[in-house]
Amino acid sequence: MSALLEVRDVVRSFGGVRAVDGASLDVEAASITSLIGPNGAGKSTLFNIVSGFLRAEAGTVSLEGRRIDRLPPHRIARAGLVRTFQTARALARMTVLDNVVLAAPRQPGERLVRNVVGGRATRRREQEVRVRAHELLELVRLDGHAHALAATLSGGQRKLLDFARVLMTEPRLVLLDEPMAGVNPVLRGELLEHVVSLREEHGVTVLLVEHDLEVVMGVSDRVVVMSNGAVIASGPPDGVRSDARVVDAYLGVEE
Amino acid sequence: MFLQLLANGLVTGAVYAIAAVGVSLVYGILRIVHFAYGDLMTFGAFVAVTFDTTLGLGMIVATAAAMVAASALSVGLDFALWRPLRARRANFMSLFLASIGLALVLRQAIFLAWGPQPRAFDVDPFKVYTIGSVRLSGAQVIAIVVAVVAIVLVGLLLSFTTLGRTMRAVADDRSLAAVAGIDTGRVVLATWVLSGALAAIAGVLAGLVQSTFDPNFGFTLLLPVFAAVVLGGIGNPYGALAGGFLLGIVTELSTWEGFGGGVDPVYKPVVAFAVLIVVLLARPQGILGRARLV
Amino acid sequence: MSVLTSGEFWAFVGVVAGIYTILTLGLQIEFGYAGLLNFGHVAFMAIGSYTMAILVVKSGWSMWLAAPAAVVASAAAGVVLGLATLRLRADYFAIVTIALSEIVRYVATNEDRLTGGSQGTINLAGAEEASDYNSQWQRFQDWFQGALHLGSKDVAMLLLVWAVALVLTALVALSIRTPWGRVLRAIREDEDAARSLGKNVFAYKLQALALGSALAGVAGLFYAWQFAFFSPADFAPLLTFFAWMILILGGVGRAWAVPVGALVFGVIFAGTRFFEFAPFTWFDSAERAYLRLMVIGLVLIGLILFRPQGLLGKREELVLE
Repeated sequence: MSALLEVRDVVRSFGGVRAVDGASLDVEAASITSLIGPNGAGKSTLFNIVSGFLRAEAGTVSLEGRRIDRLPPHRIARAGLVRTFQTARALARMTVLDNVVLAAPRQPGERLVRNVVGGRATRRREQEVRVRAHELLELVRLDGHAHALAATLSGGQRKLLDFARVLMTEPRLVLLDEPMAGVNPVLRGELLEHVVSLREEHGVTVLLVEHDLEVVMGVSDRVVVMSNGAVIASGPPDGVRSDARVVDAYLGVEE
Repeated sequence: MFLQLLANGLVTGAVYAIAAVGVSLVYGILRIVHFAYGDLMTFGAFVAVTFDTTLGLGMIVATAAAMVAASALSVGLDFALWRPLRARRANFMSLFLASIGLALVLRQAIFLAWGPQPRAFDVDPFKVYTIGSVRLSGAQVIAIVVAVVAIVLVGLLLSFTTLGRTMRAVADDRSLAAVAGIDTGRVVLATWVLSGALAAIAGVLAGLVQSTFDPNFGFTLLLPVFAAVVLGGIGNPYGALAGGFLLGIVTELSTWEGFGGGVDPVYKPVVAFAVLIVVLLARPQGILGRARLV
Repeated sequence: MSVLTSGEFWAFVGVVAGIYTILTLGLQIEFGYAGLLNFGHVAFMAIGSYTMAILVVKSGWSMWLAAPAAVVASAAAGVVLGLATLRLRADYFAIVTIALSEIVRYVATNEDRLTGGSQGTINLAGAEEASDYNSQWQRFQDWFQGALHLGSKDVAMLLLVWAVALVLTALVALSIRTPWGRVLRAIREDEDAARSLGKNVFAYKLQALALGSALAGVAGLFYAWQFAFFSPADFAPLLTFFAWMILILGGVGRAWAVPVGALVFGVIFAGTRFFEFAPFTWFDSAERAYLRLMVIGLVLIGLILFRPQGLLGKREELVLE
């Protein structure tokens, strides 16, 4: 059985430097996979390539058996692969509610004409979407801020908003780019619970990049380790933790 | 004819190049798309023409006076307008729009002070130099000589002086420069002084080459200058130089009959814009610009 | 001083304000909603005016067919602009749009046989035919004037322009409240975030340009009808800058701010004609024209410095920060 996400031999350079050098990995459905590695290992670049924000020079990326590596980012998102960014990209001058409502798929109203022709269906869907958005905001305990501008949220709250937005897209696979970065310890626990619940309650597959190894080891089904642009180890957390190559990679960089 | 056009192109290109360096420095260091730069050039030309013809002091004094005036005006405007905007952390849009407002004010001020009639410098219009098949007017020769001198001096300044290297560092990466402890205040001042002087020189040269000019002429030149800056990669003064000369030459050469009849000379500005658009379609960051992941 | 209270004069100012409202509505969609720095907006107005005039005079179309065709032409031109330039970063885009609008003006100035050249539409087909596109409109306007028992032609035009302007403003205001409008605003906030949520940013930007340019085309139609004869010089970049000023004056991002901004702008611009006190009295009338434009420039700078949110904008929703 093939994995939900298959990355094969991806290569990408910047100005002569190979940021990603033949990286391959699999992500199984309904699992939480963590991507770790020292700084400069190529994790962000790989993330950008998988989500379509960067073009690979070689290699393939497949989602549910379908090639997605040549698709623009919005088509990949529509195919069910949704990503977050390291700094939560809250749409600052829009309300918190609008931020989430925006993410809903299948909104006929997003075609201007459909607001006039077939307006009833449009309005009905809009209602549905709003109700769902409130549910999700309640889930992340931001419902009280629904009508405030997203700019008024703290960093941690914006990450929660990000999270609600991602759920709204009804994804198959979620790429979380350092979800814990810049979040205070209090909110971290909450955020972590939500990450786990993605798999537990929503059946969503998760691939996350994270530097906090404690978090990674505690939460992941599988860990993939990158170094110098390639995947050097992958497997269950315990196995990876004691893998000599992994220790080497981290120690080698820390010098 | 080809060589003649090439020579003309070098002259036009020189004017573009000098102005483009000024615009590029202001953009690179201050992040301002200086829409009033054309009118600053006009200002320089008019100050010069006053010193040259009205006061009869000759071109050299006139140009010097123009450079001083334009630099002083630029510095004054920094205090009056740009500094307050920087204090408010104005973004690109605000700065751009403010420079548009400034352009309006400056141009009307020139109209008010000097009137709308075209002016001309006190240069012998019949003096012609002939090199092979190329004929250059006295004005064109002066333009080339002055341009070369100015460019060499600016190049030396930017490459070999501490100030110059500091300016380039700031233009390259402002936040990094601040962290490295560079005195950005001095750099800002130097930028206005230098760009003002360059505007004056470009304005005077353009006025010389055009034989007559009116208060609108600086703005007409501004768009090809912007095109040159973008072509060379915005924020890169050497790119701006290259872009300026390239555009000047291509624009003049496009009228050569050898190119399928040649472009109607009246469309020369359109050629400049067309070149810009075509280059950007192929290379969105400009020729020497760095591809930034915006 | 009696001109100050002359109804006709102010009706004229009102008409121009109405035309600017329609023009700036286009800019509001492009920049206020979608965040596009279009500084060549006036070119699409020119395309609207010229297309209609050329179709009527040279191809013998009825003006009532030529008008919508002209609007479509403007919209199409906007799409072409987008296809060529949307890949560029914001500052390059701004400069290229100015360049393109100047190209349009150059073509209009030099292609005499098509556009009448620098002397304008008076040349389109010889003196007696040039007013043809206007005579159909004049007949309509006269009928309108008669039907409502209005005193003058200016008042009739005033009502017509503003009727259209207000309807368009309402439509634009409504459109931003749709899910479609929500996507536009998201794009203005953060394109990559919008993409990551499945929105086709490029397509939306093209739509914004098409609609914005269509509105500019409509403004062009009214310009042609009001002024009968026009020339390429009428579509200089200065008009784009006026539209931007009105946009900021009213408030970026709010449709109803546009008519407010246009009216205030019109009053400032026209009203300064009548300042019979120093320092204005030191200047003769020719010089006062320069002074007026200077005031406009100073107002723009003042707005950016002291009230970037404009008259109706809110500080928190500042786009120009």
